[in-house]
Amino acid sequence: MKFVRSVTDVFGYSPFEDLHRHAELCGKAVEKLIEQFQASVEKDFERVKSLEREIDSMEYQADKIKHEIRGNVTKSLLMPVDRQDLLQFLKVQDSIIDNTEHVAHMLSYREFSIDGEIWELVLNLLKKIEETVKEYESLVDHMKRLIATSFSKKEIKDTIEHVPVVEELEHQCDKIQIEIHRRIFSSQHKDVLELILLNEIIVKLGEIANSAARSADVFRSMILGR
Amino acid sequence: MIEVVAVLTVAVGFYMAWNIGANDAANSMATSYGSGALTLRQIIIIASVLEFAGAVLYGKKVTHTIAKGIVPIDSLDPHIVALGALSAILSASLWITIATYYHLPVSTTHSIVGAMVGFGIASVSQNYLSLGDINWDVLYRIVLSWVLSPVVGAMLAFLIFTIIKIAIIDRYSVNKVERVFKYLQILTACYMAFAHGSNDVANATGPMTAALGFLGAQTPAWVLFIGGIGIAVGIATWGWRVIETVGKKITELTPSRGFSAEFATASTVLFASSIGMPVSTTHTLVGSVIGVGLAGGLASVDLTIVKRIIASWLLTVPVAAGITMAVYTMMVVFG
Repeated sequence: MKFVRSVTDVFGYSPFEDLHRHAELCGKAVEKLIEQFQASVEKDFERVKSLEREIDSMEYQADKIKHEIRGNVTKSLLMPVDRQDLLQFLKVQDSIIDNTEHVAHMLSYREFSIDGEIWELVLNLLKKIEETVKEYESLVDHMKRLIATSFSKKEIKDTIEHVPVVEELEHQCDKIQIEIHRRIFSSQHKDVLELILLNEIIVKLGEIANSAARSADVFRSMILGR
Repeated sequence: MIEVVAVLTVAVGFYMAWNIGANDAANSMATSYGSGALTLRQIIIIASVLEFAGAVLYGKKVTHTIAKGIVPIDSLDPHIVALGALSAILSASLWITIATYYHLPVSTTHSIVGAMVGFGIASVSQNYLSLGDINWDVLYRIVLSWVLSPVVGAMLAFLIFTIIKIAIIDRYSVNKVERVFKYLQILTACYMAFAHGSNDVANATGPMTAALGFLGAQTPAWVLFIGGIGIAVGIATWGWRVIETVGKKITELTPSRGFSAEFATASTVLFASSIGMPVSTTHTLVGSVIGVGLAGGLASVDLTIVKRIIASWLLTVPVAAGITMAVYTMMVVFG
């Protein structure tokens, strides 16, 4: 609008909504990954491929949000959290969806013929990972209220209560993961290549839960380190 | 002749007042619109009435400072003063119009003070005054008030928001708190309009008063009346669009934050009016918003605006002074 002088310039770019959208994408990608595993169990390889593409595009969207945030969070912004903490948080959160995408690709490399018992455990692991990421999402959901209450003590307390829960869930993921590795390495399955790939997949699945736990930890440092 | 010059000064002064209503008043009211405390219609009514009231009831001191504080007009020939006042108001209005077109965050206050200084220097160059006759100490105090007003606004807003946070936000549900502040913000909107009217009207009425000095009286009441009407007309004819545009962009300023920023700004500006200091309401408001941000009340405040505001100070005063000197010299030479 011409002929306007305004005070709006004092309000800077706020990264919190974008951070939240980024977290939501991480959660959705993990949901899609579970669908992809189910498709793999059902030997629906077409669906495995199409879900791979979906997850890949989600990761791409998340990357775009990441660059948007990095490009706009300049040093001249006065935010209620430390800029470096915020960027660090973004980086760790981004590794959740990065690892998810990585697994999605690996799953599409070949069809699996391994026995049902291991798959059962893998699906258990996936459920646990989903639980971890869901818990992580409810932690990040507090962001809006933290800002609205200008980081009130009560809101901070409610927020950081999620962190040990995420960590506990991640620990449970670890346990299932170890059990799967044990089964893989004691398997009599003939296709060694398949075992190697499955082992890689399990390592990366563990990374998803790890990233969520680390991200929760960095989130806590960010809101406490003000 | 002098009557014609005075009438012209009043006419341009009215345009200046219109500008103040259209942009500055609108900006100070937009915060109450952005938070949804008031509808556009309510804001226009409140702003018009209270800007007018502030101008008429409390605008005298700052008007006096602009009219006589910087240039000792009583020791000059009334014809010279009338020409000088007309040049000053013309130049300041011109600069404000250009700056507004380019979205520069300039202040009408700085423009008119710069313009009056330009008039003073021009009359020195024509040997009507000596350089020492210009009240540099008043100018020095005015400039100091420009630096202090945003700082005081920021400190007050920081304090007010911190108290609100500790005493209210930390204890009650944030939705309830915001609902209560929505009502309180109606009061601060009135306060803000009154304070703004009391200070900024002088940017229009100061030169008008100076030009009418040949009438011999103190600031005539009807001058403030014209200034107040001009501001109200500015709000009603153009300012409402600015309120709408700006208000939609600053939804981040929730009622509790808006209340803090407005209360701090209005108090600072009204205090400045009471000691006759012409300050920029917009800059004080920016300072207050930064204060709320420093208290952790906002998701993001962009501090580059501080640099832009300082640049606009450094630019506005010499430019307004320069244009005034040119216009005044031409009037004297060709007049």
